[in-house]
Amino acid sequence: MSDAMSGELAIDRVYHHYIAAGRRTDVLDDVSFRIPAGHVACVVGPSGCGKSTLLGLAAGLLRPSRGTVSWDGDRVRMGPNHDLGMAFQQPGLFPWMTVRQNVAIGLRTRGHARRDARRIADEFLETVGLAEFADAYPSHLSGGMAQRVGIARALALKPRLLLLDEPFAAVDAFTRLKLQQEFKALLKLNRPTVLFVTHDVPEAIALGDVIVVMTQRPASVQRIIPVAREDRDRASPAYARKLAETLACLGVTSDMDE
Amino acid sequence: MRSVARLVANRVLLPCLGALLVLSLWEATLLAYHLPAIVLPSPWAVAATLVELVGTLAFWRDVGVSLYEFTLGYVIGVVLGVAVGTLMGESRGFRMSAAPVVESLRFIVPFAWIPLTILWFGTSYTGKIVLVAYAVFFVMVVSTARAVAQVEPTLSRVGTMLGMDRWRLAWNVHLRAAAPGIASAARAAAAIGWIAVVAAEYIGASAGLGLMITNAATSLATAVVIAGMIVIGLVGAGVSALIRWGSRTWLDYR
Repeated sequence: MSDAMSGELAIDRVYHHYIAAGRRTDVLDDVSFRIPAGHVACVVGPSGCGKSTLLGLAAGLLRPSRGTVSWDGDRVRMGPNHDLGMAFQQPGLFPWMTVRQNVAIGLRTRGHARRDARRIADEFLETVGLAEFADAYPSHLSGGMAQRVGIARALALKPRLLLLDEPFAAVDAFTRLKLQQEFKALLKLNRPTVLFVTHDVPEAIALGDVIVVMTQRPASVQRIIPVAREDRDRASPAYARKLAETLACLGVTSDMDE
Repeated sequence: MRSVARLVANRVLLPCLGALLVLSLWEATLLAYHLPAIVLPSPWAVAATLVELVGTLAFWRDVGVSLYEFTLGYVIGVVLGVAVGTLMGESRGFRMSAAPVVESLRFIVPFAWIPLTILWFGTSYTGKIVLVAYAVFFVMVVSTARAVAQVEPTLSRVGTMLGMDRWRLAWNVHLRAAAPGIASAARAAAAIGWIAVVAAEYIGASAGLGLMITNAATSLATAVVIAGMIVIGLVGAGVSALIRWGSRTWLDYR
């Protein structure tokens, strides 16, 4: 591992297909991009274009058909990666565990002592505003709350690589904005490298250092759009321009009357 | 007060109503056909016989033997069944090689094995234990494999993300998530296992409830036969309730 690659996620000429019911579906077609250490890349694209597949490859849940995905300069292997934290489209909480146990279990499997894990779990539940639900079971939480637990669980691992699969997609628009703000603040705690998949362009502008726009399936990278600090001010013309530019890549024009 | 009345009605009166219906049908049959006690004794004669039986040591010995055979066979069958079922759910290679054997053997009902178990193990306890384990095993293998395979895939991804290797994932996530399904299969398996014990004892045994009943039948003590049948039903229901209570206590989450 060279220092330049430390904390870097590199997707290099990746092709991926799966075979279902005897038919081959090509999902990714020569995808390449890099996320330097501590940067946030938001991937947007048409639904079904293979965004989730990309996350699965980075997480070691899938093996690419061709090409390499590397983390820290090493090829990503199938199986657990202790640098990794991930939040999914569904919160995926273990229904038989309390909220606190759900957050603590990952710390336990990564070798933290029981008391330690419990303390860190409580700390992160506090941060996402769910301290009073620590002893509740997931079935008692609303969708937005469960999603927050899922994010707290990923962040409590203090991951160096954070992968997010539309974690705010299932919650209402208002809660989503609040979660985005909280999330942004949480990222400042330990500055992980982030691959964030979303279909929400304003969300991508709000959270990303770059926006990776994907094409239709089989997907490749259509454009990589950098996001500057001033682009994030929703009242600014810069924001409107960034939004229009990104949407135009996705085939949406800004004139609704057309 | 009203809710207490309703509770009494639901928990006591209604169940009694069902029992009462069966008993009156029984009495009505006796009255209508003038059946002798050897063919069908009255409910009261059976009740009296039951009370008498409960007072004898031999009766408890028979119940004990049947329960012993059942319990041992059941535990062996459940443990092996869950283990093999989990392996089938987790490993494609294992599933491919085990499935044909499991699929063909599971349709050979346990009773079809009784002649062989008597040949191999005589009238000993071992034959019944093997038979119960066999009956229970196949129910558990099939339902465990299915329950493990149906675990929400996101939970597996979460487990891997949290740093669990394959076997930890199988044990801590898949088996735990499948546990309620496995527990209800275990209850169904208990009924099948209990039936298998009694059936095997009917055909060849040196002790047990089944033997008690066949002995009574050959000496035309019909009241004892029916009393024995009632005991079989009660013990079976008790075992099933115990397993349900256990699975509620250990597996339920709100």
